Amino acid sequence: MKTRVSSLSRVVRPSRRIFLRGLAAGAATVVGLPLFDFMLDDHGEAHADGVAIPTRFGLWFFGNGVRLDSWTPTNTGSDWQPPAGGALEALVPLREHVSVVSGLSVMTPRHPHHSGMATVCSGGPHLKVDDVRDTIVSTFKYPSVDQIAAKYFQDQSPTPYRSLEAAVTRFRGTDEGTTFQYLSHNGSVGGETNVNPSEESPHAFWDRLFNQGDAEPLVKKARARVLDSVGAQIRSLEPKLGARDKQRLDQHLTSITELEDRLAAPIAECSKPGDPGEYPDLGTNEQMTKKNAVMSDLMTLALACGLTQSFSIQYATCGSGAVFWMVGATDGQHYMNHTEPAPHEKQHLAVRFSMEQLAYFLGRMKDTSEGAGNLLDHSSILVCTEHAEGWTHSQDDMPMLICGKGGGRLRGNVHHRDVGGNTTRALLTALRGAGLPLADFGYEAGYTSSPLGELEG
Amino acid sequence: MGFAFRSALLVALAATAACVGEIGDPADGGPASVADVPSAPTLHRLTAIQLENSYRDLLGATLDVPADLPADDTLYGFTSIAAASSTISSVDAEKYEKAAYAVLDQVWADDAWRVALVGCDSTSTSEGCVRAFLITFTERAWRRPVTTKEIDALADLGGEIAADLGDETALELVLASVLQSPSFVFRVEVGEPMPLRRDGLRRYTSYEMASRISFLITDAPPDEELLEAARNGDLLDVDLLDAQARRLVDDPRARPTLVRFFRDFMQIGTLDHLDKSPEQFPAFSPTLGVSMRTEIERMFESVVFDEERDFRTLFTTRETFVDEELARVYGIEGVTGPEWVPVTLPDDGKRGGLLTTAGFLAMNAQKTRTSPTHRGRFIRVNLLCDDIPPPPAGVNTTLPDPAPGSETTLRERLEQHRKDPTCANCHDKMDPLGFAFEEFDAIGAYRTEEDNGLAIDSSTDLDGTPVANGVEMGKLVAKLPAVGACVARRFYEHAGGHLARSGEEVAVATLVDAFAASDYDFKTLVVSMVKNDGFRYAMPEKAEGSK
Repeated sequence: MKTRVSSLSRVVRPSRRIFLRGLAAGAATVVGLPLFDFMLDDHGEAHADGVAIPTRFGLWFFGNGVRLDSWTPTNTGSDWQPPAGGALEALVPLREHVSVVSGLSVMTPRHPHHSGMATVCSGGPHLKVDDVRDTIVSTFKYPSVDQIAAKYFQDQSPTPYRSLEAAVTRFRGTDEGTTFQYLSHNGSVGGETNVNPSEESPHAFWDRLFNQGDAEPLVKKARARVLDSVGAQIRSLEPKLGARDKQRLDQHLTSITELEDRLAAPIAECSKPGDPGEYPDLGTNEQMTKKNAVMSDLMTLALACGLTQSFSIQYATCGSGAVFWMVGATDGQHYMNHTEPAPHEKQHLAVRFSMEQLAYFLGRMKDTSEGAGNLLDHSSILVCTEHAEGWTHSQDDMPMLICGKGGGRLRGNVHHRDVGGNTTRALLTALRGAGLPLADFGYEAGYTSSPLGELEG
Repeated sequence: MGFAFRSALLVALAATAACVGEIGDPADGGPASVADVPSAPTLHRLTAIQLENSYRDLLGATLDVPADLPADDTLYGFTSIAAASSTISSVDAEKYEKAAYAVLDQVWADDAWRVALVGCDSTSTSEGCVRAFLITFTERAWRRPVTTKEIDALADLGGEIAADLGDETALELVLASVLQSPSFVFRVEVGEPMPLRRDGLRRYTSYEMASRISFLITDAPPDEELLEAARNGDLLDVDLLDAQARRLVDDPRARPTLVRFFRDFMQIGTLDHLDKSPEQFPAFSPTLGVSMRTEIERMFESVVFDEERDFRTLFTTRETFVDEELARVYGIEGVTGPEWVPVTLPDDGKRGGLLTTAGFLAMNAQKTRTSPTHRGRFIRVNLLCDDIPPPPAGVNTTLPDPAPGSETTLRERLEQHRKDPTCANCHDKMDPLGFAFEEFDAIGAYRTEEDNGLAIDSSTDLDGTPVANGVEMGKLVAKLPAVGACVARRFYEHAGGHLARSGEEVAVATLVDAFAASDYDFKTLVVSMVKNDGFRYAMPEKAEGSK
């Protein structure tokens, strides 16, 4: 067999200075850093050339709301305390990096799941697709906040990936539109569905990010030329199309351009972690803890290596039917919310378990040193869900967290309660925490010009 | 613009024939009815199976097509509707690039394969033989004639790359450009203006019609015969279109393709991930759901293709197929191993037709118990095309607990639930239909009592007509005109990749009538669809604003 283009692109670079051990085992792992320590100034807070360590932005989503009486901290202000046995107990050790926001309301026209999902992730209403039937299928009208940050970062200092999307649990809604299937959206101008799908396979995520090797320069140049020609084909087709299809081709062009730019981007100095493999169900039980650990590890490494500056983790979908078997649940979470009698103990335990999974990810970020601090110091991560409580579809008193120190822009360790305030206040604050110079944010009824000052450093 | 191979006379004749009496008479100044307006043209992304078939069509049947092609989505239940709405994300663009090189590498690794494809030893795009190949290949990939300018651009690309990497690799990369082009990964169908029309109505070209019917009926690009018909302008003629559609519907590829429509229509793709409590249902296994889906698809194939019977027979037939796993759920003895065997269910009034298949019953149930609401909702929404809005925001949807010390059936608790008028408004349309199937548990096995020992009452009604049980419900549903109308409407929406809009009600009604007039022969539905005005014409959206 001759060597061909796809194999030419698999010349594996020699290992550099980063190590990730025990990845698949889920044991304690050590992440070393490639880039920053020898390139930093004396204070360890900026590169030697004065360029600040970048702040990462993240969106971490879980589905079906919480049980408010076990979620909401018992005090406001600093040193927040969860109620005894509360859902947030696993985050207490990370409290310096975690602020809780409670009381906020979804301001856009209400619809079970759809409006909550679109509004807490994008700051604007959902969009019903093809509005000719009395049944709801929706997408996001406006981009999710990870894409707002991605665009800003890419304009400032491009990374190889504009953004990265990962998923943990496997349930996807099938008949209510992209709102029930995906987290990261690019917005919709004319009803097109424009999403950034999340990778849910640990092996595929690893293969995409760390196993492609590097192609020979002439092959990369040729592949870039091919992509450039595809771009020209897209541009010549656009004038023949209607407005909606033009939008769809614009996204195709954006995607092709991103691939082309990546071929010209400097190679990230990452060494290759081991293949994490897959985590198939045991019986019918999903291995959520292990999948969460390995996806968290891979995302942390990708962020540390500078593969991207903006990310999203779809721990579970809006209206998720994931079965939290480890807390004794036998039905999917959405159905369980509609059938479990008060006091909704299994839902409480499912949320508590989910926050332990979040704590693993945040802990991994915090354990990754960067300059004088760690990766979580240089991140701003919005954590949200589409309802306050699933059994009523309520969208008041929405559960939200803002994690990370935002490179000093976020205080951490605050419980801020604003009853009836606009949920977009939290989005605006998280984006500002990542360094976006925004005085206001949101769309239509979701608009706000009022960040949560108490959370800002 | 336009294709020069047809005479102006032919165009004019065809235009006249297509317009007069079918979609209004232009001499009278527009469509026959103001409500009769076809939808705007749209880009259709190739689905994963269509992409796979296209690679094989271009490069060879033995090609090893990568498994990680961009995943299909569904919208309103249909892959086809999502494909007409979705964009190509950056991760999907990566997958298209990777797949293009993965398939081309196989050909380029084998000199004999490459020479057979190209038609000569040379790989230099400046040579006549290679240029001729590039034209043929690109036309087939893009499913339309190509312009000199387009071929020049590809040849220039080859020349630039050849300077660095040599002719052979350069030609491969040129083909990679063809295979990542929007003209390949999308079906680009924009129609052509109709000279006699002033309202902007467009007609899909003969080439566009070739793609439309080929992907609709075979999930594959047009074959040689269809391309020849496209070249001749034949597919603007209803009779020639009819002949091609009849040929394709009997092509072996039509079976799996129309089964895929039926899979979306019945939403039985979800059975592949069926999740039931193994403690409660010892007959459950991770592969049982796939068997359930397969049974329903085989019933469809049998009625539509083998027997060519009335589509509605599906709701009443006792002829079905089982493997060992499914036989266990049905209590049929003597079936062992993974082979599928045809069986006739006993005439005991317990089971017969689609609505008493384990698949229908299990997918519309929860992990541990049945759901009359979901079973009823499916019939109402998916089989009768009657929408039911979601519960209003702020309503507590949790079923009330049984009163302490009293045992109740699920039916009794749901009936209690419907005493609340807020709930009854919609649940009255769903729950009573579902009660007919309470004789079947959450994996579709027959039962006479609930887990708590209380007797099942499956007698109910459908909009006032009494029904004793699931078998009776199937017999009643089969007689409702709404069922035939619903499957025809969904096929119309599947074919066009969009929900039927108000301007298309005449086109939908025409299709529904044709289906009914054929005694619900599904192949006739497919052929009628191809000839339907809504499939052959397009009305572009009015330009709004300056952008």
